[in-house]
Amino acid sequence: MRQKVIVIGGGLIGTSTAYYLAKYGVEVTLVEAKDIASGTSGACDRAIMLQSKNPGPTLELAIKSANIYEKLEDELEVDLEYRKSGGMIIIETLEEMQAMEHMVERQQKAGIDVKLISGEEARKWQPGLSNDIIGSTWWEGDAEVNPLNVSFAFANAARKLGAEIRLNSPVKRLITDNNRVIGVEVSGERIYADAVVVAMGVWTPMMLKPLGVEVPIIPRQGQILVSEKLPSFLQVGILSASYISNKLKKNHEDDKKDPFGVGLAIGQTHSGTLLIGGSRQFIGYDKTETNPEITRKIGEAAIRAFPCLKKVRMIRSFTGLRPYTPDGKPILSPVSGIDSLYIAAGHEGDGVALSPISGKIMAQVVCGEKPEMDIRSFSLSRF
Amino acid sequence: MDDTIICRCEDVYLSEILGAIEEGGNSFPGIKKRVRVGMGYCQGRVCQPMVSNILLATCQRNTRPVLQRAQPPIRPVLLGDIIKK
Ligand SMILES: Cc1cc2nc3c(=O)[nH]c(=O)nc-3n(C[C@H](O)[C@H](O)[C@H](O)COP(=O)(O)OP(=O)(O)OC[C@H]3O[C@@H](n4cnc5c(N)ncnc54)[C@H](O)[C@@H]3O)c2cc1C
Ligand code: FES
Repeated sequence: MRQKVIVIGGGLIGTSTAYYLAKYGVEVTLVEAKDIASGTSGACDRAIMLQSKNPGPTLELAIKSANIYEKLEDELEVDLEYRKSGGMIIIETLEEMQAMEHMVERQQKAGIDVKLISGEEARKWQPGLSNDIIGSTWWEGDAEVNPLNVSFAFANAARKLGAEIRLNSPVKRLITDNNRVIGVEVSGERIYADAVVVAMGVWTPMMLKPLGVEVPIIPRQGQILVSEKLPSFLQVGILSASYISNKLKKNHEDDKKDPFGVGLAIGQTHSGTLLIGGSRQFIGYDKTETNPEITRKIGEAAIRAFPCLKKVRMIRSFTGLRPYTPDGKPILSPVSGIDSLYIAAGHEGDGVALSPISGKIMAQVVCGEKPEMDIRSFSLSRF
Repeated sequence: MDDTIICRCEDVYLSEILGAIEEGGNSFPGIKKRVRVGMGYCQGRVCQPMVSNILLATCQRNTRPVLQRAQPPIRPVLLGDIIKK
């Protein structure tokens, strides 16, 4: 008999997991509370940036994921707006320069061929950059993709392989029997399976808590501005060095000096709009309204980097909740003490980049195969 | 094929909206994420009422479909003006 697996959550991670499981011949049911990409995966940016990853297991994971992305459009037979655009981390101060020199050195050791270039060279790569930028990193391997397309494409491809996709179906609870998960309860109905993968992003802790399992994921809000359409102007994905230092900051106590954690992340979509982010804030689950003060701070960061943006119109802003974990690494893991239960969540600001590999590894683990990467660094029991 | 334009800002046609509904889109944000309707310069001011009617006509539900929240800025505004405030 075919193995039967339920995946809870239809974001970048759940849809990818469902796809790879279906590809491995598993009978999959994806259960999503609202709609595909209705959570964080529908409120995020589009970077597949390796430069921004901490050298170590996360970078290794990201490299494998980036390799899958290169062929993913062919595999899924859809346009994902994938583009190997290259990426830059722009540097404004000498202090940032030192930090980036260190980061680049570690990245190079990890096999990513990032270069530090002068402000002048940076302006050659990316016209419009301010003369105040004193330097930048550059790596041609960084890429971008439309995260909505990725979520829908994985879901549709899974469906084509026989997976059942149930939308508008909030899972109420996991059904257990003798320390073993045997299914889920959805609006009064019980669905049974051989295994359950929880891919609920920031909402993951809520599903596990009733079983006495603490999952240390907390929401870290980010805000993004969207501009009117412009002729092609940004050729590369750009982050600021301050974005990196905010991202890698570990303590989730609110930082009094910089409560909004604003650092520039800017790129241009296929349709021509600019996505300009971003902030990092621990303010719980409920505040979805954008904050005018953050909008202003993001605007300032953007204009500092690109003075010409003063004359560009913003048409919208939005917020999303990054699934933060205390050590910045995702959780891709069985749950010890409870059989047949797995977690794939906690990707913070890397879920777009890590979607394909996360799904693939989870499928391998759930099917009892040896995963293509040692997943001990991503275990739940590390906390 | 006969088709009607629904979203002028993003060039989205009725057939695409119906396709998105068939795929499971059951709210304005859900359809928008599938086919870009409402993502344009007017932010759905023109097309959202039509999409909402199509949703009402096609969904077997008596509840009103979920609409898009207006997120600031309500009207397009220059970034240079945003940072002045
Ligand atoms: C502003 C911002 C910018 C970002 N930019 C980038 C970037 O450039 N590059 C990058 O790699 N990453 C980026 N990220 C991170 C990325 O968006 C996330 O890591 C990723 O979307 C997480 O995906 P997920 O599938 O784990 O979670 P989600 O997309 O949130 O999916 C979880 C799903 O679970 C569903 N759910 C919840 N409760 C239930 C229930 N009871 N029953 C059934 N379903 C349920 C939800 O509806 C949701 O659809 C960004 C994030 C933000 C907020
Ligand atoms: S008509 Fe659809 S966004 Fe303007």
